[in-house]
Amino acid sequence: MANVRLIELTKHYKRGSEIIRALDGVTLDIERGEFVAVVGRSGSGKTTLLDLLGLLLKPTAGSLFIDDIDTSQLGDRQRAQMRARRVGFVFQEYNLLSGMNVLENVMLPLRYVKDGKASGKQRALELIERVGLTDRIKHRTTELSGGQMQRVAIARSMVNQPSLILLDEPTGAVDTETAQQLVDLLKRLNSEDQVTIVLVTHDLDLAGQARRQIKLKDGKVLTDEWLPEKELLPA
Amino acid sequence: MEIIRNVGRHKLRSFLTISGIVIGVLALTTMGALAENFNALIDGGVKYFGGSIQVGPPDGQAANLLPMSKIDEIKKVGGVEAAFPGYQFAAKPGGAIVVSFGIPDTIVAGDPDENNYSALKVTYAQGRPASASSHGEVALGSTIAHEFNKKVGDTIDLPVRPADAKPDFVNHSFTVVGVLNETKTAPDSFAYINIADGQMLLRDSLPASLQSSIDVTQITEGISVYGKPGSSLSNLDKIADRINSQVTGVKATKPSDLVNGFKSGGAIFTAITTAAALLALIIGGLSVVNTMFMSVAERVREIGLKKAVGATTFNVMGEFLLEATLIGLIGGLIGYGLGVLIVVARNTLFAPADGSTLFLITPALTIFAIGFATVLGAVAGVLPAWRAARLDPVIALRNE
Repeated sequence: MANVRLIELTKHYKRGSEIIRALDGVTLDIERGEFVAVVGRSGSGKTTLLDLLGLLLKPTAGSLFIDDIDTSQLGDRQRAQMRARRVGFVFQEYNLLSGMNVLENVMLPLRYVKDGKASGKQRALELIERVGLTDRIKHRTTELSGGQMQRVAIARSMVNQPSLILLDEPTGAVDTETAQQLVDLLKRLNSEDQVTIVLVTHDLDLAGQARRQIKLKDGKVLTDEWLPEKELLPA
Repeated sequence: MEIIRNVGRHKLRSFLTISGIVIGVLALTTMGALAENFNALIDGGVKYFGGSIQVGPPDGQAANLLPMSKIDEIKKVGGVEAAFPGYQFAAKPGGAIVVSFGIPDTIVAGDPDENNYSALKVTYAQGRPASASSHGEVALGSTIAHEFNKKVGDTIDLPVRPADAKPDFVNHSFTVVGVLNETKTAPDSFAYINIADGQMLLRDSLPASLQSSIDVTQITEGISVYGKPGSSLSNLDKIADRINSQVTGVKATKPSDLVNGFKSGGAIFTAITTAAALLALIIGGLSVVNTMFMSVAERVREIGLKKAVGATTFNVMGEFLLEATLIGLIGGLIGYGLGVLIVVARNTLFAPADGSTLFLITPALTIFAIGFATVLGAVAGVLPAWRAARLDPVIALRNE
């Protein structure tokens, strides 16, 4: 079975008497290790799809399976456990905790996994090395550049060895060169760890570097196409 | 660690919030110590008067004196195990009247055997009691011994001569033969002498014209009556009733009346002091509520992030509750520490001349002061923590 399976996934909101069809019966399979970009105009349903995949929202109808688990059957506590163990998040604004240093930020998700801290510190250190921030390990996040902060966020998203990483406009707050470095890093992690990556973006250049591109419009899948593989830039 | 950092994130705000708790706990500690000291005195009274029946002259009699023969009559009353005469004199006569939470220094003349019957046992840090057959011996309570800096072998003139004593003022030199262990209650400020010396002081206290006409060996100021060891309060009350009905010319006070009087006085005092202090502390607690709500409002994105990476409602609530509890605990520890400093300073550096203590820090007060502040912090954090825990992560993550 696919790593992520959406069956007629639907999310409607009520605004007064009006019903907003943010996501309207989307059916998709995403296999383990895919690198998927979700594009579309504002209001097309990209962010809603990401929030549903991240189990931050509950669907109005339909089913969502992650690693063969029907998430629609889970309670709040089990959904939180799924987020902790199987899903990683990277946000446009990094969302790092300013009172913590790089290592502490990367280790944050371990706090919510049983025995996470004991076994996860070594992995956090390895991830920090892989994102090239070993020399900044004790630095506060306020002492980092935008690109460095996003690398910390990427390392944090992977610390619990999730099978799915969700990125919301991950290069939206950095310059073009840094954005490309981040994309290269994501590609490398995707290929080396076989982790599934789903990123939402307005940036067509970034979306063009994914292996698969899903275009949404009015909450429905407009196109779903595979892109030719591009050569990975050296680290 | 993160929780400590969060408290320190807004130093001034945390300082002001913790100060509110500190002031409350400081008030609770000092007022509580005052109440504890008072209650220790009361407890001593309850113990002593709850284990004996006090017999004095009947209502309306001018002089506080009884014939010694009444002791034999009382001993014949059913249930009476022992009866002892007693005399009390001010140890420092003529002093200015001052309001004090302590018991004034008093010379108590009695039979050393009475200690075998009394529920309030005295024990000796040094020496022994004044013997019944000797003359000029005294055993001092711990406070009075400290006040006059006396130890076994020293002498003390009793009653203490006032600065403005008249030429005919009489006192006597006593040899200190014992110093009592501290009891936190009445015996601490007592100087114990035997019956014969008590009768000598009684004679001295009488007008000169009466001294030669009254045989002081035949009169007592009061009689302490004891039932069988372990007699209940109600049994002693019944004995008091029997004394009143069978022995003329005396009045036996029911121990329960005395005990209830002590207890109600103590309860009112404790209620007033504790309520005042708790009020101060609750006001401090409200500042914790305010601070925690501000903290939640400022950290909405952080809460959203934590939920996104796997924190449950319980996790988020726990973190904010711990933070509020820490504020309460820090405030409690500092407030209690300052309170203890004030109490110790008052009891030692600024101790009154009579050596009495005004405050008493007890383990119960320590646990109550720090524990209440900590629990108050936790309770004050419940609503803000609940609000934090119920935040929708989708909205929280995109909060500007």
